[in-house]
Amino acid sequence: MNNFNTFKKLLKIATKQKAFLAVIAMLVIMLFNQTNFYTSYNLFDLMNSSSILMILAFGVTVVLVAGGVDLSIGGVMVVSGIVVIKLMNNNIPIWIAILCALLVGAVVGTINGYLTVYQKTEPFIITLGMGMLLTGVAQMITDAHPIPCTNPDFSKIANGKLFNTIPHLVIVMIIVFLVIHWVLRYTSFGRNCYAIGGDYEVAKYSGINVRRLKMATFVLCSVVAALGGVMLSSMLNSGSSTYGDTTALVVNCGVVVGGTSFAGGIGGVPQSAIGLLVFGVLQNGMNMLGIASYIQIICQGIVIAGIICLDCYGRKRRREAV
Amino acid sequence: MSEQLNGKKIIQIIFSEYLVLVGIAMLVLVTAILEPKFLSPQNLNNVMRQFGPLIMVALGMTFVIIGGFIDLSVAGMLSLIAVVTISLIEPLGQVPALLIGLCLGAFCGYLNSVLVVISGAMTQAEALFITYGMSVVYGGLALIFSGGSTKQMSGIKADTSLFKEIGSGNIGILSVSFVMFLGILVLLYVFQNKTFMGRAICLTGGNKTAAKLAGIPINRSIAFIYTISGFMTALGAIVLFSRVTTASPVIGKGYETNAILAVVVGGTTLVGGKGSVLRTVLGTLLVILMSNCLNLLGVSVYMQYIMKGAILILAIWLDNRKQL
Repeated sequence: MNNFNTFKKLLKIATKQKAFLAVIAMLVIMLFNQTNFYTSYNLFDLMNSSSILMILAFGVTVVLVAGGVDLSIGGVMVVSGIVVIKLMNNNIPIWIAILCALLVGAVVGTINGYLTVYQKTEPFIITLGMGMLLTGVAQMITDAHPIPCTNPDFSKIANGKLFNTIPHLVIVMIIVFLVIHWVLRYTSFGRNCYAIGGDYEVAKYSGINVRRLKMATFVLCSVVAALGGVMLSSMLNSGSSTYGDTTALVVNCGVVVGGTSFAGGIGGVPQSAIGLLVFGVLQNGMNMLGIASYIQIICQGIVIAGIICLDCYGRKRRREAV
Repeated sequence: MSEQLNGKKIIQIIFSEYLVLVGIAMLVLVTAILEPKFLSPQNLNNVMRQFGPLIMVALGMTFVIIGGFIDLSVAGMLSLIAVVTISLIEPLGQVPALLIGLCLGAFCGYLNSVLVVISGAMTQAEALFITYGMSVVYGGLALIFSGGSTKQMSGIKADTSLFKEIGSGNIGILSVSFVMFLGILVLLYVFQNKTFMGRAICLTGGNKTAAKLAGIPINRSIAFIYTISGFMTALGAIVLFSRVTTASPVIGKGYETNAILAVVVGGTTLVGGKGSVLRTVLGTLLVILMSNCLNLLGVSVYMQYIMKGAILILAIWLDNRKQL
């Protein structure tokens, strides 16, 4: 009987930490296959390649916690990445160019926030339209060609290595992680985000300025997405409009996979990091095992649909239990 | 009622309810003045043929949105069905291939509905991500099935007269795909307004909890919603690859956003419960005319993305203002 109870408890923990378990399971599977997965080169590569998506995911987490969705981050990422390169190619200093790119993010975030909060529109469809619009803008600026960067210092921002081992990109990712984690956990802004995500009306009546706060989450998310775009351009040393097609959907799914719910009010940045790691490890592991790319696409789709279904199912059970 | 409908009132109704008509009229007027080729029979015939695939997908999407959900899987599904159907023409003959394509569409749609019902997704955002995952799966299946290559209809040795007829045939002055559309529009209009299931879908979209308490079988109506969407997507796929005579495994890319755009621009609200297939016809007409006009006027294709995004945002914003 006692054993049964502990088993039940373990099962409960397991269903809560499904993303973490998925990562562990994949790591164990890779342990039994003779591949180059467990080499420091590959592990750094894994971190490096998922860093940009993780940066985006940390911003999205704030929006999701506050009960919104942002599907325009792919567009923001691409546009800001192109803006930074265009400005630098016109002999504008790096830092001003980066600030301008972040400003682009802030403007888009403000529009998103204004439309969803003050005009009470559905955030996911508005931001979907915004993403479409921004993709068009990016293609128009670049004429759908990748534009190379002429400033040699720019690529060092992401590609340089600290102590010749840790890529700068990973360090930027960790800094964003720590800042947003601090904001969500240890500031009144963060706590209020959880409050409005948990119950919008209650938060409103307890004196939180819900509208301004929710709008701020959209601005923050877009600025972080713009930073991700700058890092992407720096990593590739060029600006291209072909990325970002599915980024927004994958990142949002990754965040939900980690345990931040669409309904808002629960979740956090560490969970999102693990959620994105699921996709990173899955892709890297399948590459290492030499699985055909079409099968990889299907696996990714099944993981997305499956985990979102589990997330909804958990909420259904809770609804029925009440 | 009729004596109240003076001219001012009609204009008011058009501006508040059918803004899309004003948009279409302006587009036609401006383009006709700037580019006389727009009104040539050849171009109008072209518009009619471009209309075919999108209207099928959009009509299916109308029911999904009226039911309070959303279906992003049409992109992957369209590619999968187009690739499968065109590959089956040679080994099985054209009628079985057509039927298998339609059944596959209905089955994929039903699969979506099973996932949505089992997981108990209640909001559009949840349905959006589930169907996005399925879209990736269907797209991957299309890639596997075709081996990543584009299938040509001209390379098929068997008889393809049926598909040629769908793609480029005429009945009188109308194209075959347009006649198909008219028939289906009548069917769907009757289904929506005169059958139990059609009304059940509207009620499901209006308020799911209330519908459930009132004894509406909402699980069955969700199954209907997605199965119709899948079936219509299959029709759209068949019309599309018949017209362009090739089927690539990424042929459906962009159809999901275009269909949502057409439905929303037509005036079906995203909140669910309200809307009509007739509105979708107007919305689709606007989307198709817009790309035709911009092409004729020589506007860059990238500008069209921007305009579509802007129109989507504008349509939802205006619709929301009306409800406030």
